[in-house]
Amino acid sequence: MIKIENLSVAFDGPEVVKNVSFTIGDGEILGVVGESGSGKSVTALTMMGLVSETARVTSGRIYYDDQLLLEAGTPRNNALYREYQGQKMSMVFQEPMTSLNPTMKVGAQVEEVLILHDKKSQDGNVAQGEEKKGSKEKAGLTEWIRERDAIKERRRQRVLEALRSVGLKDVEKLYDCYPHQLSGGMRQRVMIAIAVILHPGLIVADEPTTALDVTIQNQIIDLLRKINHEQKNSLLFITHDLNLARTLCDRILVMKDGEIVEEGNTEEIFGDPRGDYTKKLINAVPGRTGKKKSAYQKRREARKEEEGAQGKALLEVKDLSVFYRENANSLFGKTVKKCVVHHADFSVYEGEILGLVGESGCGKTSLSKAILGLNRMVEGSVTHFSNAPQMVFQDPYGSLNPAKTVGWLLQEPLRAQGMLDPSKAMTPKDREAAAYEMLRMVGLKEKYFTRRPSQLSGGQRQRISIGQALITRPGLVIADEPVSALDVTIQAQILELIRKLQDDLGTSFLFISHDINVIYQVCDRIMVMKDGKILEIGETEEIFAHPRNAYTKELLK
Amino acid sequence: MKYLVKKIITLIMTLFLVSVLAFLAFQIIPGDVVTSILGTEATPEREEALRKELGLDLPPVVRYFSWAGNVLKGDFGNSYRFSKNMNQMMPVAELIGDKLPVTLLLAAISMVLIAVIAIPLGVFWARSKNRFLDAVLSMGTQTAMAVPSFFLGVLVTYLFGILLKWFSPGGYVSYKEDFWGCISYLLFPAISVAIPKIAMTARFLRNSMLTENGADYVRTAYSKGASERRVAYFHVLRNAMMPVVTFLGMIIAEIVAGSIVVEQVFGLPGIGKLLISSISTRDFPVVEILILYITFVVIFVYFLVDVLYRVIDPRISNK
Amino acid sequence: MKKIGAWFRDQNAYFLVGLAMTGLAVMLGILSFFWTPYGTTAMSAAERFHGPSLRHIFGTDNFGRDIFSRVMQGIGTTVIVSSLIVLISAGAGILIGAITGYFGGLLDEVIMRVTDAINSFPSILLALVVISILGRGKQNVIFSLGIVFTPSYVRIVRSEFIRLRDADYIMRARLMGVKKLRILFVHILPNIFSVFWVSVTIGFNNAILAESGMSYLGIGVQHPEASLGNMLSDAQGYLGRAPWYALSSGLTIVWIVLGFALLSEGIRRKQEGRK
Repeated sequence: MIKIENLSVAFDGPEVVKNVSFTIGDGEILGVVGESGSGKSVTALTMMGLVSETARVTSGRIYYDDQLLLEAGTPRNNALYREYQGQKMSMVFQEPMTSLNPTMKVGAQVEEVLILHDKKSQDGNVAQGEEKKGSKEKAGLTEWIRERDAIKERRRQRVLEALRSVGLKDVEKLYDCYPHQLSGGMRQRVMIAIAVILHPGLIVADEPTTALDVTIQNQIIDLLRKINHEQKNSLLFITHDLNLARTLCDRILVMKDGEIVEEGNTEEIFGDPRGDYTKKLINAVPGRTGKKKSAYQKRREARKEEEGAQGKALLEVKDLSVFYRENANSLFGKTVKKCVVHHADFSVYEGEILGLVGESGCGKTSLSKAILGLNRMVEGSVTHFSNAPQMVFQDPYGSLNPAKTVGWLLQEPLRAQGMLDPSKAMTPKDREAAAYEMLRMVGLKEKYFTRRPSQLSGGQRQRISIGQALITRPGLVIADEPVSALDVTIQAQILELIRKLQDDLGTSFLFISHDINVIYQVCDRIMVMKDGKILEIGETEEIFAHPRNAYTKELLK
Repeated sequence: MKYLVKKIITLIMTLFLVSVLAFLAFQIIPGDVVTSILGTEATPEREEALRKELGLDLPPVVRYFSWAGNVLKGDFGNSYRFSKNMNQMMPVAELIGDKLPVTLLLAAISMVLIAVIAIPLGVFWARSKNRFLDAVLSMGTQTAMAVPSFFLGVLVTYLFGILLKWFSPGGYVSYKEDFWGCISYLLFPAISVAIPKIAMTARFLRNSMLTENGADYVRTAYSKGASERRVAYFHVLRNAMMPVVTFLGMIIAEIVAGSIVVEQVFGLPGIGKLLISSISTRDFPVVEILILYITFVVIFVYFLVDVLYRVIDPRISNK
Repeated sequence: MKKIGAWFRDQNAYFLVGLAMTGLAVMLGILSFFWTPYGTTAMSAAERFHGPSLRHIFGTDNFGRDIFSRVMQGIGTTVIVSSLIVLISAGAGILIGAITGYFGGLLDEVIMRVTDAINSFPSILLALVVISILGRGKQNVIFSLGIVFTPSYVRIVRSEFIRLRDADYIMRARLMGVKKLRILFVHILPNIFSVFWVSVTIGFNNAILAESGMSYLGIGVQHPEASLGNMLSDAQGYLGRAPWYALSSGLTIVWIVLGFALLSEGIRRKQEGRK
């Protein structure tokens, strides 16, 4: 189907894709797995003829069946590519929110593929149309217009059919919708409809589910599998998520720094990985095995035998409901109070990591903000039994003040503490020493003290964030998706750091995540949340072994 | 519909506020109108009589409402400075009369010039891949934006009026006498007003298109097999035009202001000259009405742009 | 020396050219307070309407005055006036914008309505209204334009503060117990300077254009003090006879404004490059 020989691509700097060769067989699902910057997307975009003009193909050839599409040294034949794009090969992108034209109706966007490839006899009515055109003068203009309308109507029917085939409902109405009226999952289905309407031989899906919730993610994967079965086309599936690749793909390529480091059937790769990087990647994926007991758990078990108590509560949340104001669309701008968290009831105990798992929009973040007192529209009670809790956020780029140095950032909590409570004021020297100490504790070298956040990597920034949260030794830290924006290998390191700090400092964490496996790796107890309600709460092992709630079971699948 | 009602209510409220502010502003002015009309040597009786005649003895609230009521009826009051003849005062309405259309016509021609030249130029610029052309356009527009419109007026007068003799400076004909003659004369001041704005708009559109070119949906369009031309005109342009519409709306105020200044250069009998001289001579009834007039035009255009924007941007109108 | 070389390599062409153009103009302007080639009011009937020459590089005007000396004085006036305008409006803008942006609420609502109203109005007209109340003259031009340009800074500063007050790092600063004023001026303010410098340089342009426009209309800087605007207004009467008179004062305005525009473009590009 597709054959790529020795492909190398460079932008301004060094090559980002180095000497990559592979083939995709007819009807095969090939997975390309790698972390960000591994060159997987650039490879796919180059193959599709979509890579930007600033990219240079420095070596290699690309064939589609036996047709040479691209060769290093000769400029890209855009006219040739246009024949293939949309018709023989098509692509689904990562961002469903921005990949559709915001000012064009959904139907028209799907139909555009038909219009573009109409001349190439794809409509099935062209021959007929030409015949009619010949007799146009005899039949008169009205006849010709009627014929054109009929072609339009047939095209419309084909679009509706395509929308239906990707599992969308109410397609007649959908046809006239604009993208912003659709949910992320629906938009991604529309993207797939665009990709499959002409039954191309090859579909490239670049992280098509990364921006979606877990349950939607599964549906999209099922849809891709179904299309592959029905249309018998090949699928190139690009992902950073090894588990997804494992469930969907026949064969897998592992890429690192622009090179293919391993290639093989799915079972081979997971059963017997040969390369070191592949092993590291597989091990870094948070699984549901191989978890070590934390010092906290050991202590608790010891205590349990003695007295059977949970320990001291640091935070007690009783019957907490959280609201927010929604602007109603009325002349006088009345607001409606909307309940986003219903009657939450739980405690966080000294030294434990409590996990909070749920999909986006379930109320996790609203709950954490209410606990911190950042949202005052609450009912019920939140009681803290320690000093002010701190927070670590998801986005490592937005959590640190870009105008300051690492050293300044680490000292600021101490300065603030001193200003609020003069008895805790420290001398500048002590403060600096404490900051260096914290830098060491979060696993960074001293030289980073004078750097600015823009000079750090995502993982390093997240370490500083954690250090900043812990430097005043709060009893409780709320970590809202702290590893979701990081690559798998970095993710594993940060999780390890959190466990280590829990052991060393005895800090409690409320650890919020959408990823059940991450939660498993790091948490002592788990809460499951859906639509603002806490469905289940219990010991990690207990919940994984015997989930009681149907939704929990679904998440664990 | 609801939106339209809401917008119209805001429109009326803004106008009311502006009229109150305009009225108040001229209340706190130091210096007495009566002395400025009669001079310092008039008798107290004569001053008192004039005060009564002008209605200046009434409390401010009453005066505001009687003034506003009259304005709504189309009676704009009388000028302090000008008079028709010895016994009759000059109504402001008559004074402004045929001056306002000149200014509005000038602003409108400038606006048309901007839209007609800047949009194709911006699209052409965004699509051209010639680096030399890009540098020339970049430098050219940057320079054009730095030229104040009154200096442009002087340059246009010198170049087209004195050197090329395409028009005779100062030879304005009224639109009532010779409409096309008037338009062809106004073209030159309009060019002076338009050139910096054309440069600005073309740059803005170009940058907007280049930004949109990097958007994800553009990549989607290419992946369907669309040609560069089709992507540019069919996908990018519409999205790129959205901020440009707002931008054009925003510079309307500046175009009106530019027109008023440029009128001075070309000796046009628009409201600019009247406004400046009324300010210098403290002829407040005239200034008040002119300010109100200009504000109304500007706010109304904003309103139109806002409505237009909702028509062309589905993301807002379908919410 | 090495440091200076490194600094130069770090700048882009826009920034350097802009800096050179504005730098030259500002230096000439400041120099004019101490020295000009000829007296700015020294008339000479024998030397009326001389074209540009080595003796008078910009020529002479209708009174035989040296145009270059007067242009220097004009630049001086313009630079002082526009600096004061920017100082007033940017200072007030930071203060009002920071407080309304960060705290929001009713005060913010009211101030936003007022700035919106002022912003929707042609700035030169608004300045004319203020002038008509206060009377003509240089001080009143500074004062009225200072007020008129304040809302544009309020808008920029306010929107930056709104953007940043909900940034993760500011939320975390609040959780650490950092005091409000410290958050405003130590945590947020340094982050808006990059955007702010761009608007300050643009603000210079607007101030220069507005000031010269008002002087051109005869309600700004008054005779016999030279300003670029009132010189152009005088020169217009002798356009046929002495075009260099109009060109020298007009092109000087273009020179300064273009310089500031390039400077601001340079700063903007530098920031984009950093991102």
